[in-house]
Amino acid sequence: RYVRQLQRLQFLFSPTAADARGARQFVEEAAQDFARQHPDVVLYVSPCSGTAPLVRAEYLNGTVREELIASKTSEEIVQLITKLANQSGLDIIRIRKPFHTDNPSVQGQWHPLTNKPSILTVQGPRLQPQ
Amino acid sequence: MVVLSAARWLRSRLTDRFWRVQEVLKYARHFRGRKNRCYKLAVRSVRRAFVRSTKARREKKRFLRALWITRIEAASLEHGLKYPAFISYLVKSQVELNRKVLADLAIYEPKTFKSLAALAHRRRQEGFLAALGDGKEPEGIFSRIVRHHY
Repeated sequence: RYVRQLQRLQFLFSPTAADARGARQFVEEAAQDFARQHPDVVLYVSPCSGTAPLVRAEYLNGTVREELIASKTSEEIVQLITKLANQSGLDIIRIRKPFHTDNPSVQGQWHPLTNKPSILTVQGPRLQPQ
Repeated sequence: MVVLSAARWLRSRLTDRFWRVQEVLKYARHFRGRKNRCYKLAVRSVRRAFVRSTKARREKKRFLRALWITRIEAASLEHGLKYPAFISYLVKSQVELNRKVLADLAIYEPKTFKSLAALAHRRRQEGFLAALGDGKEPEGIFSRIVRHHY
């Protein structure tokens, strides 16, 4: 079953700044629709005057991602947060390998003594290593 | 009143020079010497680094293939086969494994690799019998060719 990796979205913007107009429009119009479409994401809206408007996304693995929403229209903000909701919290760097296993070896990883005759290593009551 | 151009005494100032410089310097932070601090030197070094990384993507494929071949050669020599014989007799037995997978098997699944080496060895023996024996012995099992209809 699919578990959404986005935990919560915090909207921080001031109620009077000019560049927070898109954020205010978004909160008035599209925030409820977004919340209904994504029931497993919690939205927090808090006023903070004096700072640039931003949206903070927290993921299940602890990463916090902050994006500026200054001078963005409501539709752009909706696109941005749908993108954040579909992401996982892994950092966005170059992936070295497209595969990963925790148990790469089933038969036992090769070591210099795998293909040598066991007379070399066995220590028992009768067999002595040479 | 519509003004099409600004007045002559108005000047425009570059205010985000710091961030434009940081965009380049962030890729030069792990370099040696003054080119990780000074913008003028860093621009040249960063550009060359990017060009080299683009060209190296083609070399990486060749390098990794050579690495795999070295590893398969070492593993097959442990089982008494040389690399050209191993690869050619595997192909003749219709085992279409590429060198990457063979190298990973040799490292992480040594018993499987041993059985592949035994298969190639047996196919080699059957090839010799078919070429030198001429007729009376039955045809080898691993020399049979299975045709798949897709």
